Amino acid sequence: MENEKKPKRKGLSLRGRQTVSGYLFIAPWLIGITFFFLYNIIEAWRYSFNILVMEEGKRNFTWVGLDNYYFIFREHTTFFVEMFESIFQMVINVPLIIFFALFMAILLNRQFMGRGLVRAIFFLPVIMASAAIADTIEMSFGMIFGGVNFIPPEVMREQTGFNVGSIIMLLANFQIPPQVVEFIVEAIANLHEIIRSAGVQILIFLAALQSIPPSMYEVAQIEGATGYETFWKITIPMVSPLIITNVVYTVVDTYANSDVVETARDMYVMENNFGASSAMSLSTALLVCLVLFAICWLISRRVFYYD
Amino acid sequence: MAAPVISKRIHKSQFAVYDERGRKIKLAKRGKKLSRSTGGTIALFLFIGLFAVFMALPMVLTISNAFKPLDELFYFPPRFMVRNPTLSNFSDLFILLQQSWVPFSRYFLNSLIITGFGTLGHLLIASAAAYPLAKNRFPGSQFLMSMVILSLMFSPVVTGIPNFLILSQLNMINTQWALIVPAFAASLGLYLMKQFMEQVPDSLVESARMDGCREIGIWWRIVMPNVKPAWLTLVILMFQALWANTGGVVIHSEELRPLTFAMNMLAGGGIARAGTGAAVMFITMIVPVTFFVISQSRIVETMATSGMKE
Repeated sequence: MENEKKPKRKGLSLRGRQTVSGYLFIAPWLIGITFFFLYNIIEAWRYSFNILVMEEGKRNFTWVGLDNYYFIFREHTTFFVEMFESIFQMVINVPLIIFFALFMAILLNRQFMGRGLVRAIFFLPVIMASAAIADTIEMSFGMIFGGVNFIPPEVMREQTGFNVGSIIMLLANFQIPPQVVEFIVEAIANLHEIIRSAGVQILIFLAALQSIPPSMYEVAQIEGATGYETFWKITIPMVSPLIITNVVYTVVDTYANSDVVETARDMYVMENNFGASSAMSLSTALLVCLVLFAICWLISRRVFYYD
Repeated sequence: MAAPVISKRIHKSQFAVYDERGRKIKLAKRGKKLSRSTGGTIALFLFIGLFAVFMALPMVLTISNAFKPLDELFYFPPRFMVRNPTLSNFSDLFILLQQSWVPFSRYFLNSLIITGFGTLGHLLIASAAAYPLAKNRFPGSQFLMSMVILSLMFSPVVTGIPNFLILSQLNMINTQWALIVPAFAASLGLYLMKQFMEQVPDSLVESARMDGCREIGIWWRIVMPNVKPAWLTLVILMFQALWANTGGVVIHSEELRPLTFAMNMLAGGGIARAGTGAAVMFITMIVPVTFFVISQSRIVETMATSGMKE
């Protein structure tokens, strides 16, 4: 943060000064992330090669090498399947959530009466994600679709309230290949989930839409662009950096709520097997990161940065 | 899609445009306002309404449950709407809270401290870190961005033990800092702010730099006002995340626990406390909803007045 008015150079080039000021700005966050993330990761990495037993006042490590990894991939009954199912589910859900969120954001960005209320309604699932209220939601859906109130939430989570069977029959009658049918059925079965998990994404897209200078739309209108052209030439390029943000957010969110994280958590909470739990979360997190970077790389080639 | 609004339509012959060789340039066939047609609007309203009803049901049920007398709560088959609304659930809750040895206001203050400091600190630290990552290229910035994304991947449950250890080494266990300080270092806000700050034109930053503005001034007075929708969104997200936090294992003194914890305890009181539980759900839900509505309306106000001019 040098005073740039002085004509005399202070020994650092512009690049050097930018580096210094950049790190000064980042410093508080960097300290935080070192304590609360890097340390955690290194510890988790260490746990994954050990059997960890908690005793009063200290942790007992026994070095077992790759045994934990061998256990989770070769001996654990469900982990390997769950890992791939979770990632597959994620790859299906991400585009659907993004499209739905963008679509809803564009609709909610229009001027109409009670817009604030409708926006709040779409953000409700995020607010209600806390465990105390989540069960009420499940119960209310059970009430509407099932007509019976006291179905345990665990059962309701398995059902989606849609009669999936009739749709499968219908599609199969049209001679549609089973893979396609499977995809569509998955999508419909997930519809409820998608609508519920699009709250934050809608909000981010709304902020993005509101950041577009109105003058751009004015120019387009004066030049005689149609609504369709305006959408593709102005709206989409201007929100494209935030599409990546939303993809990242969606992947993280879906992953955090996936079965495989649940399994790792059970390993940790129920069986106190800290080593295997760490191994599970490290290996899935790395795999999800790879998927995420692949998706981001695909999209980022088409992203437009306004300048 | 619908009947054209003839009165608003400007006929294109009035605005014939010619290029340099004198040829007539074909204009787009519409003179009316962008994306406005009555039929389309109605269809969209129906569409939004359908989804909104779908989403609003849990809220309506929560509200109507909060006002149901006990016999209606257990009525079978259950009714969706309340028949004889009563405030007895709330008065029960009030009596219950007066009996607890930690007063209600203390829980509320705790929640306010945790949510307020956590949100504010996270916003400042994340946006300060996002500014150089978005607007300056310096060695290591790419690596830092990869680290941000990587750190989003690790769910807090899995890193529970190391997190507890570090908090205890920092002497933060059983203080409210144990919830506030980790919120500072969350990476989601940094990522969000960085993406939005990249949208701010470089020319704006450069002109400020040339006029002798310090980096901190550029960040606070140029970039931050331009990404106001982004940081209001971030405030909403952080508020909601911190408000829902119950304190878990890191706070074990009753007088330091947040409101959500007290509410969850009351809601988990079983069948005898079903009415109080419904009132509790109503209260825990209504605070973030109100906060959301207020912040959202602020976003709209901001953008109506500010517009980038180049």
